[in-house]
Amino acid sequence: MTAALIGFAAVFVLALLRVPLAFAMGAVGYVGLGLLRGWAPTAASAAQVVYDTGFAYTLSVVPLFILMGNLVARAGLAQELFHAAYVFVGHKRGGLAHAAVMACAGFGAICGSSIATAATMAKVAYPPMKKLGYADYLSTGVIAAGGTLGIMIPPSTIMVIYGIVTETHIGKLFAAGVVPGLLCALLLMLTVLWIIRRDPQAGPAGERTPWPQRWRALREIWGVLLLVAVVLGGIYGGVFTATEGAGIGASGAFAFALMRRVLTLRVLSEVLVESARTTAMLFTILIAATMFSNFVNFTSMPGDLKDGITQLGLPPLALIGAMMVVYVLLGTIMEELTMVLLTLPVFFPVVTSLGYDPVWFGVLIVLVVQVGLISPPVGMNMFVLNALLKDVGMPAIFRGSAIFCVPLVIGLLLVMLVPQLALWLPGLMK
Amino acid sequence: MLRRGLSALCGLLAGTALFAIMVLTLLDVSGRKFLSASIPGSLELTELLMVVVIFAGLPLVSLQREHVVFDSLDRRLSAALRRVQHVVVELLCAAALAGLAWLMWAKAGQMASYGDITAQLKLSVAPFVYAMSVLCAVTAAVHAALSLRSPDELGPAAEVTGGG
Repeated sequence: MTAALIGFAAVFVLALLRVPLAFAMGAVGYVGLGLLRGWAPTAASAAQVVYDTGFAYTLSVVPLFILMGNLVARAGLAQELFHAAYVFVGHKRGGLAHAAVMACAGFGAICGSSIATAATMAKVAYPPMKKLGYADYLSTGVIAAGGTLGIMIPPSTIMVIYGIVTETHIGKLFAAGVVPGLLCALLLMLTVLWIIRRDPQAGPAGERTPWPQRWRALREIWGVLLLVAVVLGGIYGGVFTATEGAGIGASGAFAFALMRRVLTLRVLSEVLVESARTTAMLFTILIAATMFSNFVNFTSMPGDLKDGITQLGLPPLALIGAMMVVYVLLGTIMEELTMVLLTLPVFFPVVTSLGYDPVWFGVLIVLVVQVGLISPPVGMNMFVLNALLKDVGMPAIFRGSAIFCVPLVIGLLLVMLVPQLALWLPGLMK
Repeated sequence: MLRRGLSALCGLLAGTALFAIMVLTLLDVSGRKFLSASIPGSLELTELLMVVVIFAGLPLVSLQREHVVFDSLDRRLSAALRRVQHVVVELLCAAALAGLAWLMWAKAGQMASYGDITAQLKLSVAPFVYAMSVLCAVTAAVHAALSLRSPDELGPAAEVTGGG
């Protein structure tokens, strides 16, 4: 137990000293295991971890989904999604904000990253909101929060990584994200309504679009709908695995980008290299986290914690609640994926020993990461908006994000108390 | 100059490998579903290509300084202290990667001496493990080179993470 606690403390200290988190986790895991178990077996196991993570067929799902999202972003499909939502709700007060949420949800169904979704939507949805005189806190808050739908609505990078690390079925995790994702979208839109009621000046109404143009706008998003239907439908229906679905999705996105004539050789190589870089960065974290968890699993901590918690006899749901509080607090200062990978070796055995469904816990983790991504002071989505929208100050982004944290926390509580919200859809899978 | 060349070479390797994985998966799945004939060894090929994507991508991540760091304290440190911190951290990363390169080199040697090959296509695995080792060493060199530059000259680290 003490050894593991020293290990955790060492990772935090190194991180504070600005050592990249992957290197901090990897180094502490290596040294920790070396001291406990001896250096020769540790060296062998570290080499094996790197080798196994490198040569892993199932892990090819990660770069393929990243590639699909990046290709779709370049193909300009986000613009059309936003337009299709706008023509239906744009003439209402706060309509552009509603349209932004809908477009984020739609884009989330092809993109597995919250940051990419927020960045794409910032370019697409912010300028029209600005033009119409939206308050900055509303426009940036709704984009930052809507961006987090990218990781809840499948595909989702973080679900894939959770699935790999905990050996949970990725297709089921994806299915489990659909209802909570739509629930979050609904809660975000209710928040927009609430803001407009209190501050009607924040989101002026736009022009009404006649029906013929509405249908035309809807017809233009057939590409997105087809891609989503084939990839997610195929994975749910058991036609192909998540890995195969990712490959087909990336190929489909490639075909669309070709048809749109946006794909010069230069753009293609940019997209490919960008995707490869993100992949390499994620795998560095993954390898380091595996080394760290090998160390933690060698200590008595997971067992001690499990025994201690059983003896305490607390209601299981209170424990889950306590874990979520830890995550929300950690999430305000830490990068979210690292936080999850760092804590899983300790939390996950407790969750399964309490008899909870790993799929449900995975959805809770994604929800808590969503909150973390937009909770001040350290939330990645806010930084992305700050970097992209030069004329908006950080205070407005902070204020908007803080307001939109509330619906996501409500969503988290709902899924915690009503697990069926997450588990109903995967329950229907074969 | 060196930096441009390295970026171009690693980008070409990683990008091509990723594109190949995409095409391979598409052909394999559609072949299996429609022609009931999959591509022999597609699984192994994907694994070998994944190694290229990840490890050729690694020097690029370091060059662009895209590793996730906790940088909220930066503003509170004096310029001199930040320079010291920068040198120490980059050298630490370089040392860790050099160590990893050494471990993988030993592993590759072991696999070469056992003559490990893939199950279906009978490809020798060792060259790929040697490549892992070399690319880790290259990345270590990138960090060592970064330690010579001043942190202000490099600008802020890229605000990109893939997890969220």
